[in-house]
Amino acid sequence: MNGIEQTLIGGIAGGTAIVIPALGELTSELSGIVNLGTEGCMLAGALGAYAVTVATGSAEIGIAGGAVAGAIFGLLHAYLTVYRKADQLTSGLVIWFLALGVTGVLGTGYVNDAITPLPIVSVPGLSQVPWLGPILFRQDLLVYVGYFLVALIIFVLHRSRIGLLLRATGERPEVVSVAGIHPNVIQVVAVTVGALLAGIGGAQLSVGYVGTWFDDMTSGYGFVAVAVVLFASWRPLRVMVGAYVFGVALSAESVLQTNGIAINQYLLDALPYLVTLIALVVVSRRGGRKAPEALSRALTDVT
Amino acid sequence: MTKTSVNLENPQGYPEVPPKTDSVSPIVSRVREVLRRHKFAYLSVGTYIASMVVFGLIVFAKGSNPFSVFAVVVQSTMFNGGSIEQIVLRTVPISLAALAVAVPARAGLVNVGGEGQLIMGAIGAAGVGLAVGASVPGPLTWVLMALAGGIAGAVWAGIPVLMRTATGASEAVTTLLMNFVANDIMLYLIYQPWRDRFSSGQPQSQPLSQSAQLPSLFGSQLNLGVVVALALVIATWYLLKRSHWGFALKVVGGNQEAARRAGLPISRLLISSMLVGGALAGLGGMLNFAGLEIQLVPGITATFGYIAFLASWLGRHDPYKVLIAASLFSAIALSSNGIQLNFGLNGSIVDILLALIVIAPLFLSKNRKALTK
Repeated sequence: MNGIEQTLIGGIAGGTAIVIPALGELTSELSGIVNLGTEGCMLAGALGAYAVTVATGSAEIGIAGGAVAGAIFGLLHAYLTVYRKADQLTSGLVIWFLALGVTGVLGTGYVNDAITPLPIVSVPGLSQVPWLGPILFRQDLLVYVGYFLVALIIFVLHRSRIGLLLRATGERPEVVSVAGIHPNVIQVVAVTVGALLAGIGGAQLSVGYVGTWFDDMTSGYGFVAVAVVLFASWRPLRVMVGAYVFGVALSAESVLQTNGIAINQYLLDALPYLVTLIALVVVSRRGGRKAPEALSRALTDVT
Repeated sequence: MTKTSVNLENPQGYPEVPPKTDSVSPIVSRVREVLRRHKFAYLSVGTYIASMVVFGLIVFAKGSNPFSVFAVVVQSTMFNGGSIEQIVLRTVPISLAALAVAVPARAGLVNVGGEGQLIMGAIGAAGVGLAVGASVPGPLTWVLMALAGGIAGAVWAGIPVLMRTATGASEAVTTLLMNFVANDIMLYLIYQPWRDRFSSGQPQSQPLSQSAQLPSLFGSQLNLGVVVALALVIATWYLLKRSHWGFALKVVGGNQEAARRAGLPISRLLISSMLVGGALAGLGGMLNFAGLEIQLVPGITATFGYIAFLASWLGRHDPYKVLIAASLFSAIALSSNGIQLNFGLNGSIVDILLALIVIAPLFLSKNRKALTK
């Protein structure tokens, strides 16, 4: 296995921890609510998944634990921003702080617990494809969930009534009530589902890719997910590409490390963030699609 | 012809209904009246009490007595010798990073990059401080470090705002990402070029020479940085509330179209607000470094930049209120040690307390909006 292949395998596995939360953030933002708390929801998901895995011995059941943990924090954000009209960015940061505290307090007992992480599943046939096979189809369960979610979200957004309602809510919430559904309901569901996905993304870190729990283990991935959605100009396919690029940048770092290439680790650590920043500038410069109207109103209204 | 008088109020001449008297006693109705008039204040107190109850329940669930935890929070911050001074010292970086949020917020910009700007300020100060060493007199070193720190912070805030004005990239996200880059730069410096070869254990930069450290005030733990920070708060208040620039920022923040028609240079105002904010946070990082830490260590800012964002929001971006909120958060952050020592709880429990303190007013956002409407 050469370095490039190794990097790409790790990039897909690690990138999945960004793809799934980013798709969640996309859902949330399309409804007009930005969730900076995605970072916190991921953190909660990572610990929730780990704790359930320790308790049941099954990482697959653990994923459900992560999803629920993420959704709980998402529900709080949804309630504050939708029903209490709280400032979205402040509420998001508060959710993150809350999750930092809660996972810090509840997670101390789990730092030394060992688990069996999600096993690598080879897709019969496809994994035999030369070169691409092992990269794309010799991965853990959640990586496949990631692929599936991209397809599902593209379908739901553009081919279903739910997707239409969601996008309409993000553009002009008042209009949706004509369809007989209160826009608040759609926003709460969208934010909660988004947070649930963030929780699953956290699970990919704790019981999948990394396989341990430690304090603040998401280290900014949730914020990156928010950035990815922005530079993908709310298009699911671009979200996926952006997230995997970030994943590859992350894994390039560790592959370079293990091959003893003498670049300072911390300068490499900055690389994924720099890549994201540059991508943001390039895309904004080319005038990507405009943000959903309700969202841009929320982002510029500082109160 | 005699005019019959018609009672306009009661033309048909129905029997008079006695006016409805309030069935409740005047005291109760008076109480109701007061409750109605000060509804928001009572709601605020109520939500704060509720959030403290939630915190107490969490503590209780972890097997500690909530009342003794609260007692320790108060005791370790208010009545412990020297802890007030410690609070004041940590208020310096938090309040200045909070002003870095408040100034751009005036112009409608969101700066979530206080953390990175604090770090860059500390790096700038450390770079100058270590390079100059003891070769020049202390006061000159302080000035040079302050310049370096302020410029470094301004640059770190300047990059995102230039991205915003040039390409429209959301500064809320770019400032956030810049934090992680700043942290990695600092770690690189600590682990390689600036590493203190003589220390064992946790890597850290070489210490600042004695003469370059900010002098203490009257033999207390406080140092010159506290005075500087207070002066900066007052100066920021003046800039925002009394200067032409501050007024122009407010116009831009309130209605960009109106500002454009009034001929205000919008881009220049946006950029300058962010540069001033970044410089304030950079100075905060410098004062924290030269007055308190004297060495760069991993986690030197301890999420102060994010706490500052919440403090600025809690203080409604008004410099004096922001200072009060920053002091409160500084005290809470400090109480983490006491809780850890006395109860063996993870120190991050104070993050929960901090979050709950902000959730209370967030919860009331709707009522507040109704109030100001």
